[in-house]
Amino acid sequence: MADAATSANDTKDEFNRFVTGLGRGVAGALFLALPMLMTMEMWYLGFTIARERLLLLLLVNIPLLILLAHRIGFEETFTWREASRDATIAYGIGIVTSLVVLTALGLLRGDMPAGEIIAKIALQSVPASIGAMLGRSQLGHEETGDDTKETPYHGELLMMAAGALFLSLNIAPTDEMMVLAYKMSIWHAIAVTLLSMALMHGFVYAVSFIGGHELEPETPWWHAFVRFTLPGYVIALAISVFTLWIFERLGDSSAVEIMLSVIVLGFPASLGAAAARLIL
Amino acid sequence: MTKSQQGRHRERHDPHWIEWLTGLFSALLVAAMLGWLTWEAFTRKMTPPDLAVTVLTTEKTSAGHRITFDIYNTATTTAAAVTVIGRLTEGGRVVEENDVTFDYVAAESKSTGAILFQNDPAGRTVDIHPAGYTDP
Repeated sequence: MADAATSANDTKDEFNRFVTGLGRGVAGALFLALPMLMTMEMWYLGFTIARERLLLLLLVNIPLLILLAHRIGFEETFTWREASRDATIAYGIGIVTSLVVLTALGLLRGDMPAGEIIAKIALQSVPASIGAMLGRSQLGHEETGDDTKETPYHGELLMMAAGALFLSLNIAPTDEMMVLAYKMSIWHAIAVTLLSMALMHGFVYAVSFIGGHELEPETPWWHAFVRFTLPGYVIALAISVFTLWIFERLGDSSAVEIMLSVIVLGFPASLGAAAARLIL
Repeated sequence: MTKSQQGRHRERHDPHWIEWLTGLFSALLVAAMLGWLTWEAFTRKMTPPDLAVTVLTTEKTSAGHRITFDIYNTATTTAAAVTVIGRLTEGGRVVEENDVTFDYVAAESKSTGAILFQNDPAGRTVDIHPAGYTDP
């Protein structure tokens, strides 16, 4: 009898923890995706975005979520199976949250073509699902004090890609991005490049945040700069090219113009990459 | 490889060679990008927007006629709010005049647009030209 009662309690506990996890997921999705849900360009993209590019974005999101789940997850995940399950749940939360918020804001109406409604929700579900996944890490992640874990090098690079993707999804669809690139001269772009790399390195190594990185005392500073910051910046630029291409922002521009807009977007993307190393 | 302990991460002193290779490759990419931009910055002269229109096709639509065109900006400065005027004339008399505005025509780039006419352009003179712009 006692055993049965304990196991019933355990089941109830597990259920409660799961529901709490879902709640944190919704909170994370709302916190992190609301700026995008309330951005005009994101609504327009619902009918202007090329369908094959949207599909590619949705597909890229899947391994990204699984990777994030493996790293932080709703529950402490240890196997890839559990990580896939958590990723599916996060994607689901992202879709439902986008649907509810877009409907509540009056952006989805019955007289719209189905394709437009689906595209709008699908587009918003990408940042919302990343937000849902991060909700767990941001809102009440129980640090288990003394755990020593090792992140493989490619894991660090993938986390930087995730952070860069999240921030550039926020900013790439806005018109301000292109206006900035049109207004700035090449000298400005070079300055932004140097600033991006300096801030990336500073955030992770120099400024003592919780989650910051340290070097062993005998390691010179440029070791980490070459091994982590420079690849991170290249990843941020690559993610910028990817998001600009997804949102059809590159157009028929010349190489210099494309480079300028990539550098402008690379600024938030590189900060996102640095933040991912601190938070995740 | 990075070790995480009590919220702090510590970079290993003896990394795998692949980390150095990736770092070196990235350093080359960033240096190449900065080198190219610096070269462009020194050699590229800033010229005011230079706009030209090339007419592409004339098609019938359900309520009139459509003339599509490319607009090129060959200069190194972007033009904003570019107004393009399309005019149908017949023997010196203007039959119809319509205009369209491009938010931006980026430097050294092209944009595509269309002007719609109710009258048939066939047999008439079509003139499509940029009429003005603002600085972005």
